[in-house]
Amino acid sequence: MSSTTTTATFAVLGLYSDAQKIVDAAKQIRPRKLGRLEAYTPYPVHGLDKAVGLPPSPLGKLVLGMGLLGTILALLLEWWTSAVDYPLVVGGKALFSWQAFVPVMFEVTVLFATFTAGLAMLFAFNKLPFFGHPVLHSKAIKGITRDKLALSIESTGATFDPEVARQALIENGAESVEIVPIPAWDRPLSLVGLLRTIAAIAAACLVAGAGLFAAEKMIPVVPPMLHMHNQPKLNAFRSSTFFADGRGMRPAVAGTVARGHLPPAFATPEEAGTMLANPLPLTQKTAERGRKVFNDHCAVCHGTVGDGVALLSHAYGAKPGNLLSNEMRARPDGYIYGVLMLGKNAMPSYAPDLDEADRWAAVHYVRVLQRSQNAKDEDLR
Amino acid sequence: MKSAAAELPVPLQPLELIEGMVTPGSLDDQVLQFPDRRPPRAWYFALAVTLTALGIGGFCMAYTLYYGIGAWGNNRPVAWGFGIINFVFWVGIGHAGTLISAILFLFRARWRNAIARFAEAMTIFAVMCAGIFPVLHTGRPWFAYWLFPYPNERGIWVNFRSPLVWDVFAVSTYFSVSLVFWYLGLVPDFASMRDRTAEGIRKRIYTVLSLGWRGAASHWVHYDKAYLLLAGLATGLVISVHSVVSFDFAVSLVPGWHMTIFPPYFVAGAIFAGFAMVVIVLTVVRKTMNLSNLITDNHLDTMNKLILAMSCIMGYAYFMEGGTAWYSANPYIQHTFKNYVSGFYGWAGITTVTCNIIIPQLFWFRRMRRSIPAMIFVALAVTLGMWMERFVIIVISLHQDYLPSSWHLYIPTKIDFGILLGSFGLFFTLVLLFARVMPVIATSEMKASLPGAQAGHGGGHE
Amino acid sequence: MTTEAPRSSLVRNALVALTILGAAGTALVYVCEGPARFWANWLVWTLFLLTVGLGNLFLVALERLVGAHWSVPMRRVPERIASLIPLAIPLLIIAFFGVPVLFPWTHAEAAHNPILVAKAPWLNLPFFAIRLAACALVWLLFYSFYVRGSLRQDQSKDAAFTVKARKLAPLFMVVFFFSVTIVAFDWISGLEPEWYSDMFGVYLFAGTFLSGIAGMALGVLGLIRRGRLPDVKPKHFYNLGTLGLAFTVFYAYIGFAQYMLIWYANLPEEVVWFKHRIEGAWYPVAMLLPLFHFLLPFFLLIGAVGKKNPKILRIAMVSILFAHFVDLYWLVFPVLGAQPLFGWPELAMACLFLGLGLLQIRRAMGRGADMPVGDPLLAKGLEWQL
Repeated sequence: MSSTTTTATFAVLGLYSDAQKIVDAAKQIRPRKLGRLEAYTPYPVHGLDKAVGLPPSPLGKLVLGMGLLGTILALLLEWWTSAVDYPLVVGGKALFSWQAFVPVMFEVTVLFATFTAGLAMLFAFNKLPFFGHPVLHSKAIKGITRDKLALSIESTGATFDPEVARQALIENGAESVEIVPIPAWDRPLSLVGLLRTIAAIAAACLVAGAGLFAAEKMIPVVPPMLHMHNQPKLNAFRSSTFFADGRGMRPAVAGTVARGHLPPAFATPEEAGTMLANPLPLTQKTAERGRKVFNDHCAVCHGTVGDGVALLSHAYGAKPGNLLSNEMRARPDGYIYGVLMLGKNAMPSYAPDLDEADRWAAVHYVRVLQRSQNAKDEDLR
Repeated sequence: MKSAAAELPVPLQPLELIEGMVTPGSLDDQVLQFPDRRPPRAWYFALAVTLTALGIGGFCMAYTLYYGIGAWGNNRPVAWGFGIINFVFWVGIGHAGTLISAILFLFRARWRNAIARFAEAMTIFAVMCAGIFPVLHTGRPWFAYWLFPYPNERGIWVNFRSPLVWDVFAVSTYFSVSLVFWYLGLVPDFASMRDRTAEGIRKRIYTVLSLGWRGAASHWVHYDKAYLLLAGLATGLVISVHSVVSFDFAVSLVPGWHMTIFPPYFVAGAIFAGFAMVVIVLTVVRKTMNLSNLITDNHLDTMNKLILAMSCIMGYAYFMEGGTAWYSANPYIQHTFKNYVSGFYGWAGITTVTCNIIIPQLFWFRRMRRSIPAMIFVALAVTLGMWMERFVIIVISLHQDYLPSSWHLYIPTKIDFGILLGSFGLFFTLVLLFARVMPVIATSEMKASLPGAQAGHGGGHE
Repeated sequence: MTTEAPRSSLVRNALVALTILGAAGTALVYVCEGPARFWANWLVWTLFLLTVGLGNLFLVALERLVGAHWSVPMRRVPERIASLIPLAIPLLIIAFFGVPVLFPWTHAEAAHNPILVAKAPWLNLPFFAIRLAACALVWLLFYSFYVRGSLRQDQSKDAAFTVKARKLAPLFMVVFFFSVTIVAFDWISGLEPEWYSDMFGVYLFAGTFLSGIAGMALGVLGLIRRGRLPDVKPKHFYNLGTLGLAFTVFYAYIGFAQYMLIWYANLPEEVVWFKHRIEGAWYPVAMLLPLFHFLLPFFLLIGAVGKKNPKILRIAMVSILFAHFVDLYWLVFPVLGAQPLFGWPELAMACLFLGLGLLQIRRAMGRGADMPVGDPLLAKGLEWQL
């Protein structure tokens, strides 16, 4: 039961089976100041903490403080993200809609408070995990975690006398006494162990983080994650095995008219000549617009001055009309418009290319060209 | 002391919570023997069944991941189907564990000690099952981390005004807190197991898990304080989590969803469903693990009384819902409530009311509360009824809301059912593994309340 | 008790004088300020007395339901405060005559409002009267059973009553919840009959329960201070602080949930009720609620110190009672207009009702022993440990 120790004694344990006895024993022994008083029990015994002289735990205030910190941090996070960094009006509500922020604030409060309670209790106050405590290596520990209550008088230094402690325990009803030595080997301090644990956790987090990063890069290109990239649908300009012409895009149904492009009311340019008049007034601006339109669309065949001599005149075996001819000068504006709209011979319809204003501006410009190439002397004065 | 108890008439006497003679040593031997023993054949058979269910569920989940949410029955307007029903169902089941563990601890109801550990474990497993569904129903669960507010290259943040984000915070907090609470309770028990086991791998594992716990009085002081604080925090959390889940529905404009009573109604329903599951599991556990002297008929009786009380609260809630639906004079709400009990899905509403309100009334009778077949019947009915209630709320409200041109039925697919089956498989697999490997009763808490355990006055009863 | 005779009769006379003064003032209010303001005050005070009384009766029944021992030594206090119920019921019946003044669904225009016409099967005076009578009846029956039964048990020492009281407790709970809900819908939310919130019954229940705890705690602390409860120790009323904390949080949760859901969906038919109560001049009144109904009691009661220290406990409970009154005022008075009315009419009628209420409680405090000496569970309650 007790061993003669050449190494220093850590503590003398007295084992009890009855809670009342151990509380009474603690009350008797404590004033004698034989050493630091501690108890080891498989469950918390009411009154034993006071008998041993332990102060109440300050954990409550710490937890409340950390909880409130969580509340404030959550509020700041929600406010900043919703009202400052990316302000977005959702549901017509104010940017700082505190009513909607309350649930997350509550949850984060509880989260902070809980982790404080758990981790502070273990790490800060109880200094666990710690596997090197001498009592863990005593014979009594088996009983302590099972059904024995142990009162411990722990050494405070040179003045500690294990024999006196042993006597005191036996006097006060201990069923058996064990003297627990300080282990010969030097266990690392729990602080170092804690730091090692933190380092290990940090390393694990780094590895996990790197792994997640790699996964995040890789995952999107692996099926099934890839499936949304290659969806079984026809995109524009894709080929198709479904349609006879092999194209994904279907042409417009025959007779489809684009908005703003209803077929003209006239069937021939002559008819257009009789029906329409140029709605645009001839102004500098209109003429310049017409020049731009003409140079962009018409000059390539009809020439810059409209005489039918141009880059493409001979290229395709077509003979673009001479817009300056007497015949053309005699045609009404509506005729020019009609040719533009319906096309003539090799010339396609330019209706899709030009809007109304452009078309009539071009007509004006043709007239300007005609006048310019047939100017009278008075025009130059 | 003893004389006061002896004079009391029988109905007023405190409930005996332990049958026969139990000492701390015998408690350890009875409860902590299981991790060292081979389980009986029945355990392997049960595990095979649950693993099969889990396998089916796993296949269906993989199918969903591969082919997308089109494999489910979701459509417009019923965009939430089995996915959310199962999520709410499982989160609710978890709440009973926290209630038993935390709330009953605050009330110092000693009858909770024998069942708290198992209940807490069930909470964690239920939340794990629940978590599958919101993650899976996103369609692209590999982006699930987008749900959390972290600075990202897209330059955007989660929408804190959405109850779906509140859910993310609530459920993840609930899981972490339950885990911490459960683990802290396990530390002294791991210490017991550490000191019982012979040298070897198992002893090393228990040593690490017990963190070197030695039962020092100076440690118990802080431990008890932490446990009390955690119980208080977990209590608030239980109520807030299922309230946040109810907000998913109540903040909307869907008729039948926007009812202000939803938060406490959902919390009561969760506790209700959870208790039923606890009763189902514990009636089986105490029989197969020979723990009837610790999980006594009185424990089951008290739990069944709570089930009855919750059933009455649910009855009040259903009455208020229907009554207010009428009182509101809002034709859309009234149409929805009519659909709850008639029409294509009317059978679901009738089943809900029958299973949740009518059948549990059996528990007014003491004989029913103490009869194993009766309580299993009622508990199964409640489990079904509560699942059906979520079906009623989600599917019936959605399938016919404001615009008739949007009305559309919801037909769940085989994959939907498969995943539901798989979640039960996961839950019961975890329960079986837990019973095999860990102390199923909180021995340190039980020891503290045995007769003669404390100085001055005895324990052993409430 | 006999040594206090001269002082106690001084207090009694003061209360009687207060009541008579209040009665005179009340009559003046009706004549000078008009029936609407008169009835609004009458309603708020009647509801206050009723809910404090019902809350205390609920605590009595709750103890029976869960089989608690710690509260048994203190149980005579809520049994006495529950005597506010037989006082409040005739006051509520008188308030019935104010219904046609205050409640819009009784007015002629309601017949042209299709919403109110649809609600007419519930919102009509005959059915309203039947509900009132039914609630009054069941309240009186249970009050008589629990309180008079407990007083009788002082002499008879018959344990059978305690057994019966426990058996009837669940029925009381069902009746209590439904009757409080009826009060909430009929007397409070009916003031704006187009509005609806199915949480409202729970909201009134939260306030009722809390005011019950507050009344009980103040009563217990008051008797302890007078040396009338020598065996009741801090370990007993510690739990009152815990319950006060828990239900303060519960009330805040219910109140916030109702508000936030209505704010979020922003439906006009629901929002208008809150608009009337938090905009303009009503905003400062509304702000009193989170302050005195939640923040102050919460921070006072959250530490172990607050629950054991009579001074702190008293402040927290007074805050709760005050806030409960402000709550009822805030619920009812907006029917009178956008300006919160507070002046001599409110003070005069306060004198009347406070006088009546305090006289009733005072009378009850003289009935029976200060602890339920006939209750077989009393011994266990006295030796109960935290």
